[in-house]
Amino acid sequence: MEIYLPIAEMSVHWLTIIGLGALVGFVSGMFGVGGGFLLTPLLVFYGIPSTVAVATTLSHVTASSVSGALAQWRKNAVDFRMAGVMLAGGLFGTMAGVWLFALLERQGQMDTIVSLTYVVMLGAIGGLMLQESLATMRARAAGVALSVKPVNHPWIQKLPFRMRFRQSRLYISVIPPAGIGFLVGVLSAIMGIGGGFIVVPAMIYLLRMPTSMVMGTSLVQIIGLAVVTTLLQATSNYAVDMVLAMLLVTGGVVGAQFGVSAGAKLHGEQLRLGLAVVVLAVCLKLLWGLVVHPGDVYSLTTGAL
Amino acid sequence: MKRLLIPVLLLLALPVRAEDVVSGLGQDVIEITSNYTGSNIVVFGTVEQSGALAGRDIVIVVRGPGSDMIVRRRDRIAGVWINRAAAKLEGMPAYYYLASTQPLAKVATPDVMARYGIGMEGLEPTAISSHHDTRPFRDAALRQLARRGLYREAPGSIDFLSENLFRTHVPVPADVPRGQYNVEVYLFRDGDVVSAQSTPLFIDQTGIERRMFNFAHNNPFGYGLATVFMALLMGWLSSLLFRQQA
Repeated sequence: MEIYLPIAEMSVHWLTIIGLGALVGFVSGMFGVGGGFLLTPLLVFYGIPSTVAVATTLSHVTASSVSGALAQWRKNAVDFRMAGVMLAGGLFGTMAGVWLFALLERQGQMDTIVSLTYVVMLGAIGGLMLQESLATMRARAAGVALSVKPVNHPWIQKLPFRMRFRQSRLYISVIPPAGIGFLVGVLSAIMGIGGGFIVVPAMIYLLRMPTSMVMGTSLVQIIGLAVVTTLLQATSNYAVDMVLAMLLVTGGVVGAQFGVSAGAKLHGEQLRLGLAVVVLAVCLKLLWGLVVHPGDVYSLTTGAL
Repeated sequence: MKRLLIPVLLLLALPVRAEDVVSGLGQDVIEITSNYTGSNIVVFGTVEQSGALAGRDIVIVVRGPGSDMIVRRRDRIAGVWINRAAAKLEGMPAYYYLASTQPLAKVATPDVMARYGIGMEGLEPTAISSHHDTRPFRDAALRQLARRGLYREAPGSIDFLSENLFRTHVPVPADVPRGQYNVEVYLFRDGDVVSAQSTPLFIDQTGIERRMFNFAHNNPFGYGLATVFMALLMGWLSSLLFRQQA
């Protein structure tokens, strides 16, 4: 049955959209990622206007992050102070991002910029994960444990405005977490992502947070950011489609549950290899769309300008 | 002889009324609801005091509300196709459908068609602004709208149920814009319009879709909050459900 989306102003097949939500939910449950970076391009491939796709995906991210965040909170594995500092930076980031979003939309550059940003981000992250997971697999086959070298960032220790994060047993400047929050906020508004795949490595390698705290803290930060960005997109760009969000969330929460149990059966590096392949495939598809000659070099925008 | 002829001629002329067209629509309001996948409207009519069938033609034009459009052209920059040049077109109909008894070229000359605004070829925006030659942009707009099924010409698609009673089906695709449409029925006699009738048609969103759209635009903060709350609630519910299973 077709269902009409009031904001996207188009009809979609509701089962297809629920299926997309479930598929991305499955991937996000399996790999422990938000899945926004997959869902936004998939919706655009389906034909949803990229503005609506970007603004609506965040509802899916919110819903699929909630159960994980609650589980971590029960384990007392959330550093709310750290999440708060990052979110403060994220608030400014998302405001800048939503403003940029509206500007790009007026200039007609939204689609290209979204695709380009995705190609760069996904290419870099997919490539790194592929390399790392293959190296780990080779090391496992050879019977040696590969240890991640601790990275030292003396400049981070010298920054002012230090704050004590008791839960993470850290005493560091608020500038790096707020800065990461800002960056992810901008990306969240123009790419429709929660930013887990940036926040998690940054927490581990840059902020040196204990691994046990990373999952819960990043999820809480992602939910906060997704909520704020959804509100801003709704008020300044009228780009959030509630019907689309409902369909995606319905599929997403179900898919995520199956993804979690499927993911528990696999090794970490196998998971990362799988995710790297998915990420690189999406990246190549987007790149293809950017460089191949469009059938018609002219495109048409109707309606509110 | 002359004195007799004039009253006789007048007498002959009096009862001869002009050839005329009267038409109607199967429905004058189309409501877009959640499961709307496009539909048809029936336009029917009759020719009164019809003359000879040869040389008589019917043309039906359905025009959507005037709308503004932006056409952009991509250029290749560093290997990537990027929107560069743009043109803004004002007052183009958002929808255009034409049905006729035979191809337009056989109905009347382009001059006559242009005078009545009949035919996609003659469609022009009321204003077009660009830093570039505007012609390719206007042509591209027509091409894109035709591809989306919003602009269409269907010669030979008018059925005659009897000599004077005609009917056609006008497709209304799922993504037509809302607003007031006009259905124009033209009667041609030997290459010129002898009678015409215009009937309005309204297309609107109704029900929950309309309320959602209004909610999103009239109270965007509340709408955003509702969406966020829905997502949080669904996430929480699913975690409850999952915990019970585990």
